[in-house]
Amino acid sequence: MSSTNLAPRHESVPLIAGRDIVKSFGETPALRGVSVSIGPGEIVAIMAPSGSGKSTLLHCLAGIFPPDSGQVWFDGRQIDSLDETQRTKLRRTTFGFVFQFGQLVPELTAADNIALPLLLDRTNHREAYRRATSWLQRLGLGALGGHRTGELSGGEAQRVALARALVTRPAVLFADEPTGSLDSLMGEQVMEFLVDLTRQEGTTVVVVTHDARVAAYADRAVMVRDGRTTTPAPAQAVRQ
Amino acid sequence: MTRLGFRLTLRSGREAFLRLVITALAVALGVAVLLSVFAEFHAFQVTSKRPSWESTVGASSHSGATSHEELWNYSESVYQGRFMEILRVAALGAHAPILPGISNLPPAGEVYASPALAHLLRTVPADQLGARFPGRLSGEIGQAALSNPEELVAFVGETPAQMSALPGTVTVDRIAARPQSQGTTNIYRIAFGLGAIAVLFPLLVLISTATRLSTARREQRYAAIRLVGGTPRQVGAIASVDAVISAFLGTLLGIGLFLIVRPLVADVALSGVRFFGNDVTPTIWGYVGMILVVPAAAAISSLVSLRRVQISPLGVARRTTPPAPRAWRVIPLLVGIPVFLIPVLRHAKHPQQISGGPLFLGLLLIMVGLVVGGPWLTKLGAHALAAWSRGSASLLASRRLEDDPKRAFRAVSGLVLAVFVATAVAIIAPAVNAAQSPTSANSLTNVLRQQFGASIPPGAAAGLTRQLQAVPGADVIPLYANPAFQPVRPKLSSGGPSDQSGAPPAGKAAGNAAGNAAYDSVISCAGLRSLPTLGTCPRGAAGAYINSFNLFTDNPIFVYRALPLVRGSSPTAALDPSRLSVDGLLLRANDAASLERARTILTRFEATIPSGPKDGGQLVAWQMGSLTPETFGEVAQIRNNDDSNVERVVFALLVLTLLVAGCSLAVAVGGSLVERKRPFTLLRVSGTPESSLRRVVIMEAALPLLGAAVIAALVGALVARPFIEALATPRVHVPYPGPIYFLTMGAGLLACFAVVSATLPLLSRITRPESVRFE
Repeated sequence: MSSTNLAPRHESVPLIAGRDIVKSFGETPALRGVSVSIGPGEIVAIMAPSGSGKSTLLHCLAGIFPPDSGQVWFDGRQIDSLDETQRTKLRRTTFGFVFQFGQLVPELTAADNIALPLLLDRTNHREAYRRATSWLQRLGLGALGGHRTGELSGGEAQRVALARALVTRPAVLFADEPTGSLDSLMGEQVMEFLVDLTRQEGTTVVVVTHDARVAAYADRAVMVRDGRTTTPAPAQAVRQ
Repeated sequence: MTRLGFRLTLRSGREAFLRLVITALAVALGVAVLLSVFAEFHAFQVTSKRPSWESTVGASSHSGATSHEELWNYSESVYQGRFMEILRVAALGAHAPILPGISNLPPAGEVYASPALAHLLRTVPADQLGARFPGRLSGEIGQAALSNPEELVAFVGETPAQMSALPGTVTVDRIAARPQSQGTTNIYRIAFGLGAIAVLFPLLVLISTATRLSTARREQRYAAIRLVGGTPRQVGAIASVDAVISAFLGTLLGIGLFLIVRPLVADVALSGVRFFGNDVTPTIWGYVGMILVVPAAAAISSLVSLRRVQISPLGVARRTTPPAPRAWRVIPLLVGIPVFLIPVLRHAKHPQQISGGPLFLGLLLIMVGLVVGGPWLTKLGAHALAAWSRGSASLLASRRLEDDPKRAFRAVSGLVLAVFVATAVAIIAPAVNAAQSPTSANSLTNVLRQQFGASIPPGAAAGLTRQLQAVPGADVIPLYANPAFQPVRPKLSSGGPSDQSGAPPAGKAAGNAAGNAAYDSVISCAGLRSLPTLGTCPRGAAGAYINSFNLFTDNPIFVYRALPLVRGSSPTAALDPSRLSVDGLLLRANDAASLERARTILTRFEATIPSGPKDGGQLVAWQMGSLTPETFGEVAQIRNNDDSNVERVVFALLVLTLLVAGCSLAVAVGGSLVERKRPFTLLRVSGTPESSLRRVVIMEAALPLLGAAVIAALVGALVARPFIEALATPRVHVPYPGPIYFLTMGAGLLACFAVVSATLPLLSRITRPESVRFE
């Protein structure tokens, strides 16, 4: 693992870890033996230029697809060997996701979208919407609960996506270029919400980005290039 | 631009290819069904335009034989409920006209038969069938003389001398070449036309849905073309090429599919009988029309759909929720129902006073209202479901439906009218059949009735009775002529016999003070005991006076209303068979073979009784025939056939439209999946089980489908039931739709869901978590 350690307290007990992860798509190698370890409550940025395998690393860590070789561990369980049904359940109940764009269901209102993961997990309807409304208010979107996603700005839609990812109180939030489709002001606003809320909730965050300003919100950064981790870029330095 | 359009359509990767395949398959299905409908319609047209030799006019006397003439003696018979035409014929010279379907007239002593009759003649004992027209089977009648492959026709060769001895023989010098004019032909033609339109509508929806598949994806491509300087016209050209290619391939595929299923289509007995296989074709013009019209329609549909989005050089206009359908859409339906029902209910006791105008207007408004109001009702249903839903799948499905109810309803709009009409017919047709065949009189179903063309003298009648009694399992009840009966010219009414109580009609009794002269027949009380349905004689009586004319009407309802013919209070008669001639008889047989044996005896006997027009009169051939011995069940069946045929056609259309609606839904669902690939994939990545997404897809299809079917069925029942209850006589119980209706509807809906389920593998494939890498 190659990283700048800004949170040494997490080093000893990693919540999520990847060891020697190799992943190829057909003939094209995406990851060539990456190892990474992330402790509870840590915010880690995986940084790399486009096409370097950073999203693939996130997908492997989140159990979206298993690596070709290597291991992925979460909270003491090896998750790469779980079947798709078990990994689906893990993603639904324990992980949260924020993507660059297009993750909200267009026909649903903002409140519906936030309540959706709870309803999928058979939470009581009233309770699901109560929590959705509470999250809308925490994100400053209280008036937009009845609006459909097409009626929201990009920043509002990303905040709704953030609320949807956090409403189930996941242990880990995986964010893949969460500000990639936003202007810098909106991006900063979304990242501030993301960092503040996950800190409040004690959620571990893995954020993939190529944007140094986004990485600057992380406790530390992991650099990936050509499918391998490279010399660490100190997050503090990035921040500066 | 056309070349670029070709390249983009055919070589744009797997997704474009998949879209091309789905579109082509949907169009193919639509084209195959359309060709099938056209082929059936063509066969019906050919059949109804067949030159009718039965319409030939003959003269009952002639001054002198010429070599251009022949003698005809036409009669009809029935075998196991199947109608049979028998033409005895004898040429009077070398140039006698030849009947269609044969190359020469049958020589004396030989019989030419239609293929179906020839098969029966070879397999059924002669005393049950062949003996009705003695002669050697030596030729088959061709298609030109027949209206369907199952038709039973015999041309029997006789000598002129034999023919002259037969009552009812006429001279013919020219065989009719025009189609037979039947009252029902136009009704069938209109029904077929309406049916074709009813199927055409959902098929157009299917083809239109298919050619607009994945509009959103294509719009992105068109935006890119605009970005590099493409004009709207050029974008339109590319879109048209895209639509035309898939529609053209689909049309070719559809023609191939039709050619494969054509033998099955030819076997479908839509109007009760099969058509000749070679008539079941859409003709070369049908094929050419399809190849030209379908791609052209697809291009137009594509251009129209393109006009609805603004593709600027900077991309497709932002997605907005289309305006919701308004409540005014349901007004035609709400107005149409009372317009139809109020006159029906107001004149329930006097249905003849109901004017047709408001009924048709009401029906029209209801049908228009169902189609126009559908999107609003869909919105209402989706809104209610969204409010009540507690699960994630129902939430996703209801919001999608609520977002664009017009889109959701479009795919099922075609089946609304089919379900409405089918439900109405399913209520009306059995009620009409029930009115004509009350279950209380089932005991007459297998009773043969025969009214002779002239009274049979006592000796001949006794001989006939002995012959019939010799048939095992047959009971004969002669109807003796009342010598005191004084017939007068009856006052005819349009609806049938005016009196339904068994008493003589006013016309018959007029001129008679009272008493036995008012009755036309005497029935044996001993014979009556074998048919108790007809009534019971007064104690100790040997015979009773009855009016037998009620037994010989074409409408069984008048027969059943006249029962019992004999009561305890009926006037009694002395019965001396040796002095009474016989006008007709009833015969009950225990089994089908005995029935046909008795019918054969009666047919041969009947042919010897003088009947037909007076000398010098002219008569169309099918009016010359002797009176056919038929069972009461067969008489009712003939009347019920029209209703049953309508019911069969409507149910066939119902299944067809349900299936087509299922295909439209499947295509629409497939398209919507491709459009929602990203959010669905990301939902699945976020831990949403695939089963939840499957439920969403099924519910999005099921809600409009079931909703539309239920509403259309309810409206159909709401219209048909009061209507038939108002018109039915009090004695007739109006039944609910039978199991065939529910089975047809259930099977159609299941087939629909089966087609929709075919899209689920697509959902599984395109939302695999691995594909998130490409999102």
